[in-house]
Amino acid sequence: MTRVALIGTGLLAAAYGGWLLLDLGWDNLVATANWLVAGVILHDAVLAPVTILATVVLARLLPSAWRAPVTVGAIVLGSLTLLAIPVLGRYGAKADNPTLLDRNYTGGWLAVAALTCAGVAVAALANARRRRNDGQDPGR
Amino acid sequence: MRLPDERDFSTRLRDPAITSRVGLWLGISFATCFLTGLVSHWAQSPDPWLAFPTRPVWGYRLTQGLHVVSGTMAVPLLLVKLWTVYPKLFARPPRRVRELALHGAERVSIAVLISAAIFQLATGLANSAQWYPWAFRFVPTHYAVAWIAIGALAIHVAVKLPIVRASLGRAGRAATVAETTTLEDGLSRRGLLRTTWLAAGVAALATAGSTVPLLRHVSVFGVRSGDGPGGIPINKSAKAADVVAAATNPAYRLSIGYGDRELTLSRDDLAAMRQTTEDLPIACVEGWSASGAWTGVRVRELLDLVDAPRGSDVTVTSLQPKGPYRVISLPADFADDPLTLLALGLEGEPLSIDHGYPCRLIAPNRPGVLQTKWVARLEAT
Repeated sequence: MTRVALIGTGLLAAAYGGWLLLDLGWDNLVATANWLVAGVILHDAVLAPVTILATVVLARLLPSAWRAPVTVGAIVLGSLTLLAIPVLGRYGAKADNPTLLDRNYTGGWLAVAALTCAGVAVAALANARRRRNDGQDPGR
Repeated sequence: MRLPDERDFSTRLRDPAITSRVGLWLGISFATCFLTGLVSHWAQSPDPWLAFPTRPVWGYRLTQGLHVVSGTMAVPLLLVKLWTVYPKLFARPPRRVRELALHGAERVSIAVLISAAIFQLATGLANSAQWYPWAFRFVPTHYAVAWIAIGALAIHVAVKLPIVRASLGRAGRAATVAETTTLEDGLSRRGLLRTTWLAAGVAALATAGSTVPLLRHVSVFGVRSGDGPGGIPINKSAKAADVVAAATNPAYRLSIGYGDRELTLSRDDLAAMRQTTEDLPIACVEGWSASGAWTGVRVRELLDLVDAPRGSDVTVTSLQPKGPYRVISLPADFADDPLTLLALGLEGEPLSIDHGYPCRLIAPNRPGVLQTKWVARLEAT
């Protein structure tokens, strides 16, 4: 019953959104559709395969003590970099408005990246040490 | 070379226990974005079916800050969520017609959901940085796609409800907890979940400084540091609005009208009236906000000069020659509110031209775009 109600409400909401979109005119619809499709293609055909490929390569190259810390670092830094693209590129900056995009974003990114790398290295070295103390093979 | 199959992917971390937990928080963040977006839509509606409240003073600031912060936090959540279910993209469709039809319908609903979700996050983030690399109109399109996204999300939740229930219940908890050690392969399930929460938290800290003053020094990706004349950033400069000449013209007069009553006041006349100082936030739809001490004349006291009765709506017109916010409506409860000012100064100094010199509207709990700058006329009706 909950499921039927949810599907019904969902269909109504989506239909309302579709109607609002159509109401904005043909040119607006085409421009929107381009972005809707491009987003999925960028994720499914570019970002996801590249991530999986990188995972496979790193898993082969990295000593086992480094795998988990590097994965954590990559998820945090990767998603942060992606969402910071608009500010990193400063595409919206305006000469007449110095209060907009008024930070050194590249410097900020380098600081975050340095912190992440340092965190990954500390965790990985601690991992390797613990394994040595436990008498385990620290990996390659 | 053949297409990959669903079974080609490693399954240790791709488990409903993970997907459901990340999905739950992703759903919460999308619901937050949707509801706070509706609040903004309501606040900006020129003729709402229910009057937008004037309190709390910081209401719009809070909801729009939440809107952008929860949307930003959704980026790592969505990426991890999609990673855990990516193999499903390569699932072979069933052969039986009825199952095939259901499978197809679900695929369509998921395609709509994913494209709408990516669209909302990408356009929202770009808008918060005032970057518009597209040909559609941002505000109404973001609003329309929000309805599509939330509708597709409701359908998706309904379809997956049995799996979600099972994996968020006791058995699912056991499945996550059972596997906590770091395997040689790398991250554990619990590790992946914790990393996802960490990434979402870092995303919030790195951007929220545009609206949470305490985080200003931490938010390296905040769209604004919070600097500006009088400690308040500027959304649109006087130059961009093409009002520099009109705003600095010594012949400037504010006109106030009600019926056939007309009155004009110079800036000096306004400055000679009783001055009130109020701490009010300016909160932009783009998610940034800042609080300031504004000094000026109560709008209600100006309306009294033309004998406009309480309960009159006011049309506010700016000196700016064009733009969608040149003429806005100030509903009666805002116009009558003692906190609503026609401000002449900010933080003890005359208003800077980019903040709306000679005078600007500032009211509680109101979108920044409706806090008209360079006010030319108030007309009560």
